[in-house]
Amino acid sequence: MVTTSAARTVLLVDDEPALVDVLESYLHDDGFTVVRANDGPTALERFEQHRPDLVLLDINLPGLPGTEVLRRMRAVRDVPIIMLTGRVDEVDRVVGLELGADDYVGKPFSPREVVARVKSVLRRTEQRDGSAVLRERRVGGIAIDPVAHEVRVEGKLVTLTPTQFKILDVLAAHVGQTLTRDQLLEHVSADGDVFDRTLDRHIANLRARIEPDSGSPRYIITVFGVGYKMVVPS
Amino acid sequence: MSSIVHEIRNELAVAVANVEAFRDGVLEPTPERLGTVLSALERVERLLGELPRGEPR
Repeated sequence: MVTTSAARTVLLVDDEPALVDVLESYLHDDGFTVVRANDGPTALERFEQHRPDLVLLDINLPGLPGTEVLRRMRAVRDVPIIMLTGRVDEVDRVVGLELGADDYVGKPFSPREVVARVKSVLRRTEQRDGSAVLRERRVGGIAIDPVAHEVRVEGKLVTLTPTQFKILDVLAAHVGQTLTRDQLLEHVSADGDVFDRTLDRHIANLRARIEPDSGSPRYIITVFGVGYKMVVPS
Repeated sequence: MSSIVHEIRNELAVAVANVEAFRDGVLEPTPERLGTVLSALERVERLLGELPRGEPR
């Protein structure tokens, strides 16, 4: 097992199981943890659940096109994405400015080559991010561990509902940036049970758990008429 | 036309990746997997027949 990649998780999205089996075996032999999805909606679900370090994504997917899956993933987090494509005419669009995938592999491909690309993209993006895999987000005294699904405030563990966790995680991923109500709703409504009028209640409950004084929030700020943003308290 | 070529590439991808995995000892060439490769190649053959006439084969 290769220690440098032992902790990495790759989300593998393709609707052809005979291809996914092969890639999974190669990646697994190289020490990667592999999570599979065979359509767009499932890919987004697994993306939220497992927080992969890299995504291998087929362009032609049932349910939701790969290009749309890429956009939605990138809206949440700047994850490295390598596209798999059987269409040469799509390549420019995919790795160009329009979609901004980190790399692509044309079908048919050599699985060894795919593993090599995965490692190379991870090396490149980790250098860019200036550190090894960033699993934990920190905003002031709040630490969010997306793998363990744990949140600590000043070192003390707090319990959040899955929806509260999702809201906090996406706000923390975009510190200083206002997220609109629609963006927040889209992000959390994969479960299908969050409606516009309940978003404020989720925010209120979240504040009650993480804010020193939920009456005058210092972390999650209301941007009137737009949405919410997370800030580092001064 | 382009979608047929696309399908051909997908089928070839299955065949190539599996055979390479057998060669590298990453996957066992079980009768089931060999059947998958054979079916993929048979579909390639059928798809080639669907290409429009007059196209360079």
